[in-house]
Amino acid sequence: MKTLSFFALVLFLLLITSCIAQFVPEINEEKQLLVVQGLITDQPGNSIIRLSKSLPVVLKSAPRPLGKCLVSLSDDIGNNYIFSETLVGTYVPPPLFQGVISRSYTLHINTNTGFNSLSYESFPVEMKPVPPIDSIYYVKTVIEKPAEFYKGINGCQIYLNTHDPEKKCSYFRWEYSETWALRLNFDVPNHNCWISNNSKDIFIQSTASLSEDVIKSLPITYITNATDRLKTKYSISVNQYSMNEDEYNYWDKLKRLIEQTGGLYDLVPSSIPSNLWCVEFPEEKVLGYFSVSAVSTKRIFIKDNFEGIIDPYSDCVSSTLVGGPDYIEGLGVTVWTLFDTPPIPFSSPRFRVFTKTRGCADCTVRGTNVKPYFWVDDK
Amino acid sequence: MKYIFRFLFLLLTLTSALTCFLEAQDNYKISENYSGLSFKEFVTKTESSLPVKFYYKEDWVKDLKLGDYKNCPSLQCVLNNLLKGTSIYYYIDDLGNVFLTNNYALKVSDTTVEKNNKFLPPTDYSGSGETQKLSGNVSVEIGNPAEKNKPGNVAISGYITIKDTKDPVSGATVYIQKLSTGTISNEYGYYNLTIPRGNHLLQFSFIGMREKMINLKLYGAGELNVEMNSMLIPLKETVVSAQKSVTLQRFEVGVEKINIASFRLLPTSLGESDIIKSVLLIPGVQSVGEGSAGFNVRGGTADQNLILLNGAPIYNSSHFFGFFSAVNSDIIKDVTLYKGGIPSRYGGRISSVLDIGTKAGNSKEFAGNAGISPITAHVMVEGPIIKDTLDYILAVRTTYSNWIFDMIRNPDLHKSRASFYDINGKLSYDLNKNNKFEASSYVSHDAFRFRSDTIYSYDNSIFTLKWRHFFNSRFFSSLSLNNSFYKYDVSSRELNPDAFDLSHKINSTGLKQDFNLFLGRHEVNFGLDLIKYSITPGSYLPSGDSSLVIPNTLEKEQAWEGGLYIEDKLVLTSYLSVNIGLRLSSFFSVGPQSVLLYDPAFSKSRSTITDTLYFKSGQISSKYAGLEPRISLNLRISDKNSFKINYNRTQQYLHLLSNSTSIAPTDTWKLSDYYLKPQTGDQIALGFYQMLFNNGYETSAEVYYKVIKNMADFKGGTNLIMNETIEEDIVNVRGKAYGLELVLKKNEGRLHYSVGYTYARTFVKSNSKFSEETINSGNWFPSNFDKPNDLVITLNYLFSRRCSIAANYTWSTGRPITFPVSTYQLYDDILVHYSDRNKYRIPDYSRLDLSLKVSGNLKLHKTTHPNWTFSVYNLLGRENVYTIYFKKADDRILGYKLSVFGKAIPSVTYSFDF
Repeated sequence: MKTLSFFALVLFLLLITSCIAQFVPEINEEKQLLVVQGLITDQPGNSIIRLSKSLPVVLKSAPRPLGKCLVSLSDDIGNNYIFSETLVGTYVPPPLFQGVISRSYTLHINTNTGFNSLSYESFPVEMKPVPPIDSIYYVKTVIEKPAEFYKGINGCQIYLNTHDPEKKCSYFRWEYSETWALRLNFDVPNHNCWISNNSKDIFIQSTASLSEDVIKSLPITYITNATDRLKTKYSISVNQYSMNEDEYNYWDKLKRLIEQTGGLYDLVPSSIPSNLWCVEFPEEKVLGYFSVSAVSTKRIFIKDNFEGIIDPYSDCVSSTLVGGPDYIEGLGVTVWTLFDTPPIPFSSPRFRVFTKTRGCADCTVRGTNVKPYFWVDDK
Repeated sequence: MKYIFRFLFLLLTLTSALTCFLEAQDNYKISENYSGLSFKEFVTKTESSLPVKFYYKEDWVKDLKLGDYKNCPSLQCVLNNLLKGTSIYYYIDDLGNVFLTNNYALKVSDTTVEKNNKFLPPTDYSGSGETQKLSGNVSVEIGNPAEKNKPGNVAISGYITIKDTKDPVSGATVYIQKLSTGTISNEYGYYNLTIPRGNHLLQFSFIGMREKMINLKLYGAGELNVEMNSMLIPLKETVVSAQKSVTLQRFEVGVEKINIASFRLLPTSLGESDIIKSVLLIPGVQSVGEGSAGFNVRGGTADQNLILLNGAPIYNSSHFFGFFSAVNSDIIKDVTLYKGGIPSRYGGRISSVLDIGTKAGNSKEFAGNAGISPITAHVMVEGPIIKDTLDYILAVRTTYSNWIFDMIRNPDLHKSRASFYDINGKLSYDLNKNNKFEASSYVSHDAFRFRSDTIYSYDNSIFTLKWRHFFNSRFFSSLSLNNSFYKYDVSSRELNPDAFDLSHKINSTGLKQDFNLFLGRHEVNFGLDLIKYSITPGSYLPSGDSSLVIPNTLEKEQAWEGGLYIEDKLVLTSYLSVNIGLRLSSFFSVGPQSVLLYDPAFSKSRSTITDTLYFKSGQISSKYAGLEPRISLNLRISDKNSFKINYNRTQQYLHLLSNSTSIAPTDTWKLSDYYLKPQTGDQIALGFYQMLFNNGYETSAEVYYKVIKNMADFKGGTNLIMNETIEEDIVNVRGKAYGLELVLKKNEGRLHYSVGYTYARTFVKSNSKFSEETINSGNWFPSNFDKPNDLVITLNYLFSRRCSIAANYTWSTGRPITFPVSTYQLYDDILVHYSDRNKYRIPDYSRLDLSLKVSGNLKLHKTTHPNWTFSVYNLLGRENVYTIYFKKADDRILGYKLSVFGKAIPSVTYSFDF
């Protein structure tokens, strides 16, 4: 049903005559509401509750975590788990906590911000089982087909297959985390790095309208050759979460409101009721959702030849001198960047680089030089 | 040709002058005593002795015996005595022809000079019965002159037809300025007027027709049939001052007859003259924005408008998702919008009725019209199959715009397609004087393809059969049978496992029997309606072999809607008339159907289902009925002004489910059912109408207050497509609307203009004890189309018969909108939280359009008459905001304003008549 995107359809009519300009609304209200990103899973160390406050729409979006709250979880057989705050606004259950399939959980929150202390509670949510991910695979593909006047965009499409033979899970949510290796052209200390990136969209799908719980060739993400992700080695890990129908409807409605805008047939926006409410003021809106999900994970690595991948370091070689006559004695540094400060301190006399930007000689500008625990080196 | 006319005119002037002379002089002397003779014997004798010839019907005179008239030396004297006290009148012309008429008298006026061969042709007279058709400006006597001084009012009635085609002229105004009284002909062209005996000047007028004046000497009740001439030259249409004084006469408050002639001169968008766009110029009618399908009348939603084409409902009234009206304007004969004062014969929608009638074909000769605009090409042909008896009209319009997409370099658009066509046809058969038949049909199709994967199409088809039967000249009936069908299809083949075909269908078959009866001061209309509905809310089927989509068809909805009505338009005194109407409507939803039952202690949702009710095929699953009083009162304070009051109740059993700001192409129709109650509207309206400066200006002020119950709104973000449990997502809301509409019109001279200003508010309130079903905490909030201030100015200036210019200007308050007020993050996704519904507004709307119409040639004998229309839509190039929306842009939410027409849009339309 996702394909019924009227936004896209109507756009082409509008393109002929219409115009779109940026608009800054005059909004004179700022409601700071509690935002709950709650997730309890059946895997240890995977459950996490993040509390924050909403912020005015005109501002750059940034998390505004809410600390010093009391968070606890109860289940339908009388267990109670007290959460502890690790980072500001991040609350985790006791270390050995693990959700159990088909058990129902209720979240309790008490905001302890001075005298304004309020209690929030969720509906009980049952944990549904989730099938494993059958496969994640990729296809070298051209996502935008070339046309007469148009070259198209080349790249790599990553797909997912899954199925539930027991037909117990009809609603799915996915998150992915991608990591790719980065290798500099110079033999400098930080020339091997890894960059990670998490999915930034709430990605859901229902198989309720299909005869089997089969998800085949579901596009997860598309990597264009306009990035260097695929240049050295790439890895993607996908988490697959089970959901119940209420949660699916919540995300579906939420996304519909923000995606189906910008055309002639905009949905009339309104707030979507959460499964949490404020005990003292039931009228007060709570943003976010308390999810109880089983999770399955799969990771793949991609190392392949892709045509036309851009090289962000293509300028580095020509603008960098390695050793050479311009080596400046007694300067106290062996890696010198002309435009960046501060200079990288002297560590070993072996490296003498004059370069345009620090990034050319130090991969930690973009990533981390700590190899991720899951990373498998090529033999 | 022109010279022949002139010659005739001169000749007539001469003969007429001579007539006066002869009449004064001539006296046919009678010396014999004809006492005891029958009329026939008297005629034989007189014709042999005097140079006279009698014309009459034997039926009328078979009982007449001549008496012994003393001192009666002339033929006139004998006839005066003989016919005294009967309904028979005579007229002797200058050639010695003696015409007898029954029920009305003929007399050539002393002052009227025009008398063409249509007037009093002896051959016509003997054959065609009792009434005479009048074409020129003439004098007529009705009744026995002897009753001249009798007190009291008498009724005259008759048919108004177009001289060339014999089509009835509905909505023509019959007006007596001196009495400031008048009436409007009904759909058969029939009118009925009760006025005092005496001399009156009757004025017959209608848009596009030559105004006709008749000097009436009224002595008793009788009939007066009138033929009107249509204007020969199309451009002349602009100077017709029709509808003058009509507002004083109508019973209802808030009825607008759209002036087809000036409608054609309205500036167009993309070269298409468009009936819905001209409806939007009427005070009290608004739309959400440009390019939105549907319109809002006095605070009603778009599905509360009953749009009828030849009496059958159109379920999708637009092409291109709302950029163009579905009905080709070439074929439109008349359009009436009832925004209040909905007559009892209409039912089923609560806010308005837009009744579109299409033309009948030319019954005399083949004719036609063809043209081309930037978007469409159209052709219309008409003509007789059997002259004066059976005729046809056919109009076809189609786009040829796909070439535009081929030229666009953007790969998305390059493979896109958009096209539509519509076909209108009508056959009219006049079996005889008392039985007329009509068959008409309408078919439209729209197709869109975005890129190459998803194809959208929608279709309308309408078929109507109508039989008009005239029992006698004061009692007639109309029986019609119609079928309306609408469907849309969306199919996608992008992803094989997901490839689908989605469709929605509505089919309705209606039977309508109307009777009109004229009884003295009463005009009584009564009849019944019966509609059978069948809706396929949605079917979602796999497309192709590899599709895993489960074939899913939502349960069909079937229902019967019935209506019985009666209304009496009663003239109480010359200054007070009332229209009392009552409609009984009923609705039966029938099985097979399954109904989910919910725990009443909670808001309906999947988890509160308690049981399921099953209804067998044909079993009634829910029923509703209601009485709908419709009352109007018209008080004429003087001959220049009148005051009207009106109360209306309306009920609606068919709803369009829509949770977007304006009607979307995938919105679906739904019948009332176990949960969805009928919508009910109550409106009270007052109107004051004043003519100024010798009726050259017309002003009106109307106020209304309206309450609507049981409207459907939705929980936020609801998906309406293939929703099996829509009752869980519906939020019951009520609405209220009030407003003031002021109009000033000048309809005379070379410059016509009208200025309309509306102040109107419309509000909605959710109506539930459950917080899930509450919008804005259950408080009143402005509806999506609440635009308090609205100003519309239209102007026409006729430079010459060949060249005219038209402009219209619209300004209104921006519609309400919901803005996001705060942003937050979940799973690194940026989300927004919205303000209370419709708390903010988009900027004001303002637009000026201009058009110039030039006719290439006015010569009648030329085979084709070309017309050029140059038009600029949004001349000021103002970027009127249609909507404001917010989208995620990297790390923040940015606002954008969208203008549908961001520039001035020029267009040229060429057409020619043949």
